[in-house]
Amino acid sequence: MMPEVADVETIERRRMNIMLGIVVLLASAPILVTYFVLIASSFTNQMITGGIIGQLTFTLENWILFFEGKLAVTAASVLSFWDILRYIFNTFIIAFGVMIVVTVLATLAGYACSRMKFKGRTFLIQLLILLHAFPGVSLIIAVYALYIFSKQPLPASAWTFYAFLYVIVARAALEVPMDVWIMKGFFDKVPWEIEWSAIVDGASRIKVWKDIILPLVKPGIAAIAIFSFIAGWGELIYVMVFLPATEKTLATYIAGLLAGGSLEVVHLPVVAAAGTLYLIPTLVFFTFVRRYMLQTSLSGIKG
Amino acid sequence: MKVSRKLTLLFFLGPALFVVVLFYIVPLFLSIYISFTPMTDWNINRYLTQFIGLQNYERLIHIMMYDPDMRAVIITTCVFIAVTLVINVFGGLLLALATYFMDEKLSLAYQGLWLLPRMTPVAVYSLLWYYFFHSSGIGLLNAILMRLHLINHPIALGLDPRYLPWGAWFIIIFVNGLVGVSYGMIIFYSAFKSIPKELIIAARVDGASTGRIIRHILLPLTKWHFTFITVWQMLSLLTSFAQIFLLVEWRVVDSTWGQTWALYVFRTAFTTVKDQGLAAAASTFLSVIGIALGLVALKALGYKKMILEPKGDI
Repeated sequence: MMPEVADVETIERRRMNIMLGIVVLLASAPILVTYFVLIASSFTNQMITGGIIGQLTFTLENWILFFEGKLAVTAASVLSFWDILRYIFNTFIIAFGVMIVVTVLATLAGYACSRMKFKGRTFLIQLLILLHAFPGVSLIIAVYALYIFSKQPLPASAWTFYAFLYVIVARAALEVPMDVWIMKGFFDKVPWEIEWSAIVDGASRIKVWKDIILPLVKPGIAAIAIFSFIAGWGELIYVMVFLPATEKTLATYIAGLLAGGSLEVVHLPVVAAAGTLYLIPTLVFFTFVRRYMLQTSLSGIKG
Repeated sequence: MKVSRKLTLLFFLGPALFVVVLFYIVPLFLSIYISFTPMTDWNINRYLTQFIGLQNYERLIHIMMYDPDMRAVIITTCVFIAVTLVINVFGGLLLALATYFMDEKLSLAYQGLWLLPRMTPVAVYSLLWYYFFHSSGIGLLNAILMRLHLINHPIALGLDPRYLPWGAWFIIIFVNGLVGVSYGMIIFYSAFKSIPKELIIAARVDGASTGRIIRHILLPLTKWHFTFITVWQMLSLLTSFAQIFLLVEWRVVDSTWGQTWALYVFRTAFTTVKDQGLAAAASTFLSVIGIALGLVALKALGYKKMILEPKGDI
């Protein structure tokens, strides 16, 4: 009897699986279709949605035009290959900077919140959660006022550098509260016995943190590093507000191409190539985070 | 506390505290201060020392009462938050339920797919919808509707006065809803997963249908998560404006009926009239609502209980 019962269960489960799979697939159609349109159109002579199917041909021209800094075949080159390269590099610098700042601050503060007793600890942790939810738009006016104020004493030649530095730290600040909370969770899982034995042996708190605890929370560090990289990579508003108009990232470049809905000069598949290129690092890192998160839940040390 | 202990604490907490104070606490008060000054065009040297009392607030209330464009902002904000919130919470709940009853592998794939819009750079995500809602024949929506012979000519859903305000609202709600559901999905899914499997199996053995399991086990046990997600999402809808900003800039939606309060604050300060005093006054409203909702959210999930005391700090 038993195998038969199990069989019935499996068929029941399989039917539910297929049914749910199809329903969610249909619900996911807008996501699948829009991403497909973007990526596919970057390889065709016209937007795949508008053209008559017979006239669509495969081409790499959009990508070549994009890297040449051209917006259409007939358009004059306003930008050069080096400009585009610089935009990509700028995007990377912001993302990398945000990643470094967030990771360092969160690994430090996460440890303190998890492991050290101090006055106002509960208050601080609650404040962090509250700050994470705080309306960023109501801060940006004052953050920008602080920026103009603080750059005044600097020589004009240092302004661009200062703008990059400021945008990195200001953008990282938005990620810090949540990532401190996440890192605290990872530190919470490390058994106290490991730390006690090291401290009893006479090691300082900082040494214990660096040599013994950090290697145990590597998955957590990787997760917040990648998350903050993705956040910095995709940032638009802060980059647009703080960087001088000449220093673009892929976000502000794409935003500028379509500003005012201008169509006459811009060949839309070229924008699709820019967007696809911009999307690739996110896709790659995103698959990493998912894998890391899986590993974390499987290999996480029991607390 | 010993000096060396204090120094150690400073080493760990100092940098994060510095950033938090500089970019949250100081701006919060500075922003309120700016709302009492006539600051325009970012001329801080000239205006930051002038105190004009409540004039900006009076102006704001006057505009709210008499300017039809501002009334559009208020109505749009209310409709946008209410409808998107329902979509986000219930959409997230449905996705979490569907993926909970699925095979693990399949559910992970779908969750990854639904998280993708959240991870995608905002310029690319908005570009997807620029192509989708484009007012010419290349817009996917127009292409589909024309293929189905529902329309003869391409339509500008978010711009054409005939479809306003509904067309613009539909677009901003749709675009934000698709990002928002993944949050509810993740929280509900992990909440369902943390319910002991024995409960579900026992119910199954007793012959309970899937619908009854959902109604009598899964939903009652995740009531608090429901409250938390609702409040948290309301907060993020109140303040998120990057996608809508691009959709307005790119002429996908109308700048009057596609403008929420947060976007109004940003545009007033940075792009349109550059009146930072007025924008700061408008943003104070957001801050007050934000702090109130944040406190409710903190209560809802009982974070305080989750903050364990350090076991044995030496």
